[in-house]
Amino acid sequence: METAKLEQKEFEPTILAFCCNWCSYAGADLAGTSRFEYPTNVRIIRVMCSGRLDPTFILSAFRWGADGVLITGCHPGDCHYVQGNYMMERRFGFLKEAMDQLGIEPERLRLEWISAGEGEKFAALIRDTTQKIKQLGPNPLKTA
Amino acid sequence: MTSKEVMVIGGGIAGIQASLDLASRGYKVYLVERSPSIGGRMAQLDKTFPTMDCSMCILAPKMIDCSHHHNVQLLSYSEVEAVKGSTGDFVVTVLRKPRYVDVTKCTGCGICAEHCPVEVPNEFDEQLGTRKAIYMPLPQAVPRAMTIDKNNCIECGLCVKMCQAGAVDLKQEPREEDYNVGAIVVATGFDVFDASQIPTYGYGRYKNVITSLELERLLCASGPTGGHLIRPSEGKIPRKIAFIQCVGSRDRRFGTTYCSSICCKYSVKDAVLIKEHEPNTTVTIFYIDMRAFGRGFQEFVNRAKSEYGVRFVRSSPGEIMEDPATKNLRIWYEDTVAGRIENAEFDLIVLCPALIPSKGARELAKVLGAELDEYGFFKAGDILTSPVDTTVQGIFVCGYALGPKTGDIPDSIMQGSATAARVAEVLERSV
Amino acid sequence: MAVEEPRIGVFICHCGVNIGGVVNVPEVVKYAKTLPNVAYAEANIYTCSEAGLTSIRENIKKEGLNRVIVASCTPRTHEPLFRSACREAGINHYLFEMANIREQCSWVHQHQQEKATEKAKDLVRMAVARATWLEPQEEPELEIKDTSLVVGGGIAGLTAALSLANQGFKVYLIEKDQELGGNLRKLSKLYPTMQDTRDILEPALKAVKSSDKIETLLSTTVSDVKGYVGNFTVTLAKGEEKRDVDVGTIIVACGAAAYTPPKGLYQYGEYPNVMTQMQLDELLKEGKVKQAPERIVMIQCVGARKGEIRAMDLAGFPKSDTARLLAKILKAKKDEGWPYCSKICCMNAIKNSILVKEKFPQTDVMILYGDVRVYKEYEDFYSRAREAQVKFVKHIEEIPPEITQTPEGKLAVVAYDALSGQEIKLPCDWVVLSTPMIPHKEEVLLARLLKVPISSDGFLMEAHVKLRPVDTQMDGIFLAGAASGPKDVPESIVSAKAAAARAGTLMANKKMSTEALTSVVNEDECIGCGLCEEICVYGAHYVEEGTSHTIAALCRGCGACAAECPRRAISMQHYSDEQILSQVKAALTEES
Repeated sequence: METAKLEQKEFEPTILAFCCNWCSYAGADLAGTSRFEYPTNVRIIRVMCSGRLDPTFILSAFRWGADGVLITGCHPGDCHYVQGNYMMERRFGFLKEAMDQLGIEPERLRLEWISAGEGEKFAALIRDTTQKIKQLGPNPLKTA
Repeated sequence: MTSKEVMVIGGGIAGIQASLDLASRGYKVYLVERSPSIGGRMAQLDKTFPTMDCSMCILAPKMIDCSHHHNVQLLSYSEVEAVKGSTGDFVVTVLRKPRYVDVTKCTGCGICAEHCPVEVPNEFDEQLGTRKAIYMPLPQAVPRAMTIDKNNCIECGLCVKMCQAGAVDLKQEPREEDYNVGAIVVATGFDVFDASQIPTYGYGRYKNVITSLELERLLCASGPTGGHLIRPSEGKIPRKIAFIQCVGSRDRRFGTTYCSSICCKYSVKDAVLIKEHEPNTTVTIFYIDMRAFGRGFQEFVNRAKSEYGVRFVRSSPGEIMEDPATKNLRIWYEDTVAGRIENAEFDLIVLCPALIPSKGARELAKVLGAELDEYGFFKAGDILTSPVDTTVQGIFVCGYALGPKTGDIPDSIMQGSATAARVAEVLERSV
Repeated sequence: MAVEEPRIGVFICHCGVNIGGVVNVPEVVKYAKTLPNVAYAEANIYTCSEAGLTSIRENIKKEGLNRVIVASCTPRTHEPLFRSACREAGINHYLFEMANIREQCSWVHQHQQEKATEKAKDLVRMAVARATWLEPQEEPELEIKDTSLVVGGGIAGLTAALSLANQGFKVYLIEKDQELGGNLRKLSKLYPTMQDTRDILEPALKAVKSSDKIETLLSTTVSDVKGYVGNFTVTLAKGEEKRDVDVGTIIVACGAAAYTPPKGLYQYGEYPNVMTQMQLDELLKEGKVKQAPERIVMIQCVGARKGEIRAMDLAGFPKSDTARLLAKILKAKKDEGWPYCSKICCMNAIKNSILVKEKFPQTDVMILYGDVRVYKEYEDFYSRAREAQVKFVKHIEEIPPEITQTPEGKLAVVAYDALSGQEIKLPCDWVVLSTPMIPHKEEVLLARLLKVPISSDGFLMEAHVKLRPVDTQMDGIFLAGAASGPKDVPESIVSAKAAAARAGTLMANKKMSTEALTSVVNEDECIGCGLCEEICVYGAHYVEEGTSHTIAALCRGCGACAAECPRRAISMQHYSDEQILSQVKAALTEES
């Protein structure tokens, strides 16, 4: 009984988060300064703008085994570069379709807007995303 | 003949900010600091409210900028002795005190200190820790060099022998240097009210009654206990801590009738820090008015109450008594909200003393010819329209040297920048 | 791929106990040494200290490092400092990378030390992978125009404009109203000196008018902002007329508004004698009062300090009251309000109470408060009010006072006295509500145009709340006065001078270097489709002779063109595809 329990280790997803320098990365920093705790499953990659994110970055992430990908940027209207976030939003729809075709649940990709002042929101987002990805289980491409 | 050079007296955060703003726009700055290192009070703090940034982390880059900037010349371990002249053309005589160490050769390796046989209380740690007679006041000192405290040095010469860089020079003499500057900025900061003047609080007699600045050193990772909060009497972790606000402040007995502006805020910060370190310790703050004003602070107080369980009691305690066996302390107070006389036992008490003018401010004011206000802080030219001018043309003031008008660190920084604007206005206009 | 063989140095910071108390730093150092291309790794107590920086410089030379990684706090704090150290040791500072193992690791995983350590290792591995692909860059220099735009003609705007003019710069001072002066026009006296506001305002207005360096534009607002630090083109609108001005810096001094309570809060808008402090000030100024009121009750913190219900000790109350009081508290929570303390309202109320007593010595003035937040040397001002027989009553704020009115129009305030725990009923003639300073609605629009973020309480956000209180995230744009939070007159003036100093420094230097983050077109791959030209909001791409070209001075480095280019012919300096993908791969696998 004990051994069986030990072998059944809880699935800990690896989630990649792309954060834009001006808003969401700063918001993530604020979560840190305010000491809001969240699970350790996320790895943050800083870009200047969410508009920089070529869809191949996200698809490569899933191909290489990411269980979830989180894209964060400035709120609509607040993009440091005017409309980079709108361009990302457009790509988001296409990405969801592409994932579906590749056999990856589209829910593994998430897009959220976080401002530099929203530390608590960032922490809550990570907690929520981690939980949801845990429920989905490991990336199907990993086991395929 | 207008000099485009500026002298800043005082190397705390206000003086550092003024120096950097002036240096960035091309003025040569002489930053005079009487202790061996710049950094001031902010270097002694552990964390700053309300964001809980590590104080040294945000101060260090500015300190290093000062030491590296080609327009800033650090005159550390020096004091201003005399000032002649007027706006655009001051001649300031600066006393360069001997460190007995050649700053250009010293690498700050510390081998000398390891071998020095003399150990004395460390001022930077508010006398709680010790240092040697040859010492660096803090690990992140700027300039990064040792200093010999000649008063305690027994001249054994061990440091000379051990120094690989040949940096120790026991023959150094004090020297006076004259600097011709166009403007002067005063940024001499504050000292702390001597709480032993209130005998009923037992400061100086009871080991476990300490001041908030001493607490900061105990909480600070680079402090005398490595960041572990322990009782001075026997080193145990305190489980019941009390803060007492307004010690010497708002107090007609001592003439310090003003509110020091930052104590309510930092006591809540310290309370939260303590609860983070030791969630099982209870912390009670005895206050008269909880002056946590401005954005973010009320929210911080709310969080302290609801998330961290810090207790607030509206009272100015009467007396503290020590139990000679346990060294615990009993506070007798009137709980003004509950309307009862109470007493409670604590194992550590932190007094939040009034912040008073820096030692030597009075003498400096005389040398500069500047007026002080009734509390001994530098008087502003006009409290509303010229808040960073002194009563002498061409001499400006920023930071707590102005007194409690300065709220906290951002205010000191804004005032530092504001004096830079005033200096630029004055020096540019006379061209 | 970089031309030379990468030799990466990794410096991992303890940051005292901030990182070291959670992450096992020695373990991470050991791990770093096993990573490909890592030639050296060490731990520091404070990498940002002189000792840490010296170690970086020395080891670059000693170990022949050509790339440096510091794993410590957020790059948003110390990246410039570490980049300097690299430059001083002869390495192009674009060959420097940071791993954020504090704000985004140790500080948010304080109770998960083992996992935090594993995460720190991953973050270091990602940084090493990226560093392998980094290339040296040259930074372009920008010219800074020596003209400034000050938005807002209140005391902060006037002070900033004057300081800049005195420093020798040309200033456009714009004001949305028909006259300058801002909130000071509505006030009569200023604390603590009780000077007439005219004494402050008039000299400033005169100086602005007579300055040949300041051009004042009334009834004017900002309708568009283009460009970047040193070279902003701002479109000003006056009614239908539009005009463009070219400026080097912008100071935002648009001030704050006084919160007007919603109708019904403390019967404001329902009973005629319930008013705000501003309205009281107006009454006292104009001499409109025919008959002195018998009693005035002021209520502090109306619409401020609203937030979570604070834990309250109901022990002193009769049990039958508890349920009723709880219901009142819960209703109060739903009231509209702002969570912060507006700092100046205590002093403002005291000032007005002293003014009332001076005009009508027989009037009884009572102030209901939670905490008296009189700070600095204003303590004496508080004493002065008490000596003038102004009564200060600490009430239990969680139970909001009720206002009642008799058929004859006489008011009464029902509150709970905190010291006795008893309900008190105060018949009075006027009720004066002290309300907070709140951000203008127009601030949000302005913030959007300027790309300056807004804090969670609605005020414009400073670059760093402690260290850079008048800077914003946007280079060249500064904040003065109440635009960044409630301030009184001396504080507004100091912040305005500080902003003028910061802007002045920038303009005095005439040029600054900007980050090398621009787009680079691979002309061999480019097919000249023009998509990049179409989508670039800065006009930084143009197609000529069948290929796209980048105007580096206009490019802000967002990377949208690189992501949209159908041929993947555009690369971003310092954020190339390879650099980003290397981080993605390193995050997910241990292979290089």
